[in-house]
Amino acid sequence: MYAVTVFTQLCIYAVLTLSLNLITGLAGQVSLGHAAFFGIGAYVVGVLTTHGIPFAPAWLVGGLVAAGFGLVLGSISLRLREDFLAIATIAFNFVVVAAFLYLPYFGGAYGISGIPKPLGNAGFPLLVLATTLGVVWFHERARASDLGLAWMSLRESEVAAEAVGVDVRRFKVTAFVLGTGLAGLAGGLYAAYIGVIRPEDFGFPLSVTLLAMVAVGGMGTLWGPLAGAFVLGGFAQAFAFVHNYQLVLYGLLLALVMRYRPQGLLGKLG
Amino acid sequence: MTVLEARNLTKRFGGLVAVSGVHLRVDAGELLGLFGPNGAGKTTLFNLISGTLRPDEGEVVFYGEPITHLPPHARARRGIARTFQVVQAFGELTVLENVLTALAHRALTGWLPLGRYDAPVRRRAAMELLERVGLASRAGERAKNLPLGLLKRLEVARSLALQPKLLLLDEPLGGLNLRESEQLLEVLLALRGQTTMVLVEHNVRMALPVCDRAVAMDAGRVIAEGRPEDVRRHPQVIEAYLGEGEDA
Amino acid sequence: MDWQTLSALAADGLAVGSLYALTAFGLTLVYGLLRVLHVAHAGVYAAGAYAGWLAFRGGGGLGWALLAGAGCAVALGLLLEWWFYRPLQGRSPLVALIGSIGLFVAVGDLLRILFGPYQHSLPVLPPRTVVGPVSLPQLVVVAATAGLFLVVYGIATRTPLGVGWRAIAQDAEMAAAVGIPLPRYTQLAFALASALAGVAGVLVGVYYNQVYPTMGAVPAYKALAVVVLGGLGSPWGTVAAGLLLGVVESVAVAYLGNRFPPEGVAFLAMMLVLLFRPQGLLTAEPQG
Repeated sequence: MYAVTVFTQLCIYAVLTLSLNLITGLAGQVSLGHAAFFGIGAYVVGVLTTHGIPFAPAWLVGGLVAAGFGLVLGSISLRLREDFLAIATIAFNFVVVAAFLYLPYFGGAYGISGIPKPLGNAGFPLLVLATTLGVVWFHERARASDLGLAWMSLRESEVAAEAVGVDVRRFKVTAFVLGTGLAGLAGGLYAAYIGVIRPEDFGFPLSVTLLAMVAVGGMGTLWGPLAGAFVLGGFAQAFAFVHNYQLVLYGLLLALVMRYRPQGLLGKLG
Repeated sequence: MTVLEARNLTKRFGGLVAVSGVHLRVDAGELLGLFGPNGAGKTTLFNLISGTLRPDEGEVVFYGEPITHLPPHARARRGIARTFQVVQAFGELTVLENVLTALAHRALTGWLPLGRYDAPVRRRAAMELLERVGLASRAGERAKNLPLGLLKRLEVARSLALQPKLLLLDEPLGGLNLRESEQLLEVLLALRGQTTMVLVEHNVRMALPVCDRAVAMDAGRVIAEGRPEDVRRHPQVIEAYLGEGEDA
Repeated sequence: MDWQTLSALAADGLAVGSLYALTAFGLTLVYGLLRVLHVAHAGVYAAGAYAGWLAFRGGGGLGWALLAGAGCAVALGLLLEWWFYRPLQGRSPLVALIGSIGLFVAVGDLLRILFGPYQHSLPVLPPRTVVGPVSLPQLVVVAATAGLFLVVYGIATRTPLGVGWRAIAQDAEMAAAVGIPLPRYTQLAFALASALAGVAGVLVGVYYNQVYPTMGAVPAYKALAVVVLGGLGSPWGTVAAGLLLGVVESVAVAYLGNRFPPEGVAFLAMMLVLLFRPQGLLTAEPQG
């Protein structure tokens, strides 16, 4: 049973890192606020299912709402240079968490509890697995497609991408919408899986963790983000006894990998 | 037939007038050379034609259609290709993938173009282009590992992948040694007649002889136009270059 | 609102704003030179605060605490410049940013492991009022900040170092080409930035009478907001923005109380500036 729990958690991380990889690894747009979209998907499911709406539509709505906010952030990103964009995404994360804390219907600091888990303890992990496989499939499809190549070209040189006919603005937005929408779906799964969600679960530290997973694993590839998710995510789960030293080890790991192997443990980007 | 016409283009940056009332005409099949000392406005003019910059006054007309307000990617899709003064290769992509980016442009419609970018048809076309510029043997290498001379050729191949009706070359010989310059010029000469080209070049000695027609600029204005030999001997042109110690 | 309350708010706002300015100044200075957000700067700040506390524990007064704080911060800052930022200079700024965040997290947690997760008090100054509603800590903070920035101003305008920094910030290649020694000037910038942060850390500890491991977190975020408001790369804009933010926050907390988190002011202002005036409130030309 414990193995299933860990596995479910790791799959959710995997969906998150792959979705972030679309935005940051492939399209090169720094997002330090990805946890916010995870939270939006989670809260939509949390609010809707605790008011009687069945999981399936709530889940999809969660993904769509997250993608909608992703559209906003994507549009904002068009006006900002790389470093400003990073800051803007951080600010966005804080604003979203503040919204969860202070707006009505979200339960304030206590969050939302009693979120029902569909399909029972046997069926739900299968849903998570299926979703993960679906996201992997989509990620690989995108990476091998004209869209993926357009993303990578604008990541490397926006001006050259424009010169070969890539509508840089449009595809930046596409990256955000797709990446955040998938994060929203991950959020819906998380809410149902864990049953209780609180604003601080979706804060900046999680965004940093996700970016770290992608960066340490290796941005832009398939196995990089997956490795990052499983290694860093599994790290926390498996070594509960290092819980006291988790942050310092984790921070050092980040610093060391960036310092000595910036392309990530498995990646090609440098 | 007139491929491109720039009418009364003016561009200011704050108090500086980079380009002032420039008229330019490019005819089909010709290789037009654009010369002038540093700061004459040549690259700005290129940026106005390619769409990277919008003019404060004037218009750009391509095959009779005004394109002044089209963004660069739209102009690229209509057939205006360009290379950059500071090479802009896609560093992490392979040489082959660099060319494939341009070959994908027709398929980039809508918001989710999910067709494979390396379909066999495209790979073949890309390899052909690489052969034309002599880079076929390096197709699998990451572009960031290539020396400057080869990157300049890669940019040309990438531009040709657009099947352009107009190719703008911004200082293609910049940073190249003699041998590399000769090799690149060979590539360009092979295109003569089929592709309409405009060449901005600082290295007047090597570039002027290959042009069909020349235009000289200084301080944002066109100061001479006509056959290369005539432009070279034009008193204002000589003076403009003497002012920076260049021999024409 | 009466005069008494207003001047109390102003005093608090200026003091807090001074602390923001001291912290954020270094961040902008480093950004101007390296084009990287030195998030670990907040870790340097926290380390400085703890060093000051240790000095106080060892029997020292305010002066020793400040010296210890500045010294420790400078040492740490220079170490980071040498080990981490310099080797990563050619790389994508994203690499340095992520690593810097890791360093910040690690330093903060290391402080917790070494000194415990509790707050420690730093009662170096009695909180009594001195002039009207202005308290001694407030006076010390503002005076120290003013003094330090006077020195910095002198360095910036009258020494080749200041000229060099401006040149490097504008065009690093050109600056190197005309003979400005980039590595040494960068080190000196880190030293100055860290010294200011260390002093700020100690002063914060004194002002709020507490040092704790995660005390770098809020300044990290606030410093980002200040830097954006003042204009990324504009050191004096940052100073002005820091003071402004301090005052606005004081007033906002007084008026809005519980209905709006005080951090929200900084972030809201930051988002608005990013959207409508990304070059900052106080710089003239858009930077890019």
